[in-house]
Amino acid sequence: MPCPHLSYRRRDEERSFDHERPHCAAVGFVSPMRADVCNDRYGFDHATHCDVYRELAEAERAADD
Amino acid sequence: MTYDDYLDGKTVVLTVATTGGVHGKEANPNVPEQPEEIAEDVRACVELGAAVAHVHARDEHGENDASRLQAVDDAIRDRCDDVVIQNTTGGQGSLEERIQGIRTDPPPEMASLDLGPFKRGRHIVTDHTRANVDALAREMADRGIKPELEVFNSGQLNEVYRLLEEGLVDEPAYVNLIFGGRSFTRPRPANLLALASDLPDGAEFNVLATGPHQLPMTTMGVLLGGHVRVGMEDNLFVERGVPAESNARLVERAVSVIEGLGCDLATPAEARRILGVDRA
Repeated sequence: MPCPHLSYRRRDEERSFDHERPHCAAVGFVSPMRADVCNDRYGFDHATHCDVYRELAEAERAADD
Repeated sequence: MTYDDYLDGKTVVLTVATTGGVHGKEANPNVPEQPEEIAEDVRACVELGAAVAHVHARDEHGENDASRLQAVDDAIRDRCDDVVIQNTTGGQGSLEERIQGIRTDPPPEMASLDLGPFKRGRHIVTDHTRANVDALAREMADRGIKPELEVFNSGQLNEVYRLLEEGLVDEPAYVNLIFGGRSFTRPRPANLLALASDLPDGAEFNVLATGPHQLPMTTMGVLLGGHVRVGMEDNLFVERGVPAESNARLVERAVSVIEGLGCDLATPAEARRILGVDRA
């Protein structure tokens, strides 16, 4: 299942493109290699392999404590 | 593969890597992603002197998609009278994804062959075993595809010797020495000297260096009798803080350096002879 922070967008506050690109709610438009992790392709798991997701999840856990 | 080779007037094979698999228009809007864009960039670079085109493919979102290599290769052939097409089998995908790079019709004359995994971020090690490397090497041999052996760091030079000893790669080996950050060999002149002087007998080598190291390290490679790869796969800037406006700009600069050093650029036909590419 793709990362919940992932969406496909043509623009954000800073940039725009003529086609939809992978966009992370935390860091903005992402590279193709990072998008493989966002989409859990090739055996990747965003919850395990994405540094950004892990940091956000850790921050949420810390806020809940 | 020595300074004497350079002094003797060795011809230099120039490869352009227009697109790559790491970054795209989110990093520099001038990176070509769609087949027609890539082919147009390759055409411009071939006109300037590139003999080999290293090829990646993207989907409509700019993400890596090896199934579209056929469309990219077809578009390049439509635009270029002659160029050596070198498809990627690299990246971070599975063997099934990688092997699509050598199953286009017709097959590419060359293909990259990563010689091991590498680390990304803090939690990723790419899945690329010796079994994968060997499977790709065998199928390349069966299809008459010349592998470019990707030496991402100095330890992977051992893999070049192993592939030769095990008969999985024909001589002359064509070795791509890669310099940059993270898992790559540190981009320092002494490291290039060490690697270039430790290649198998008869091997040809190319220098690939990322970012600001592209120009100095490839220049040094020419002086050591090597070949050159440039393009936006490896470097998004034409100078510090100035994004490259095109792949052609990076190729134009490389041509100027190579010719300024008194070397001839290989035509695609000469590149095939130098690198041991058998044209089907």
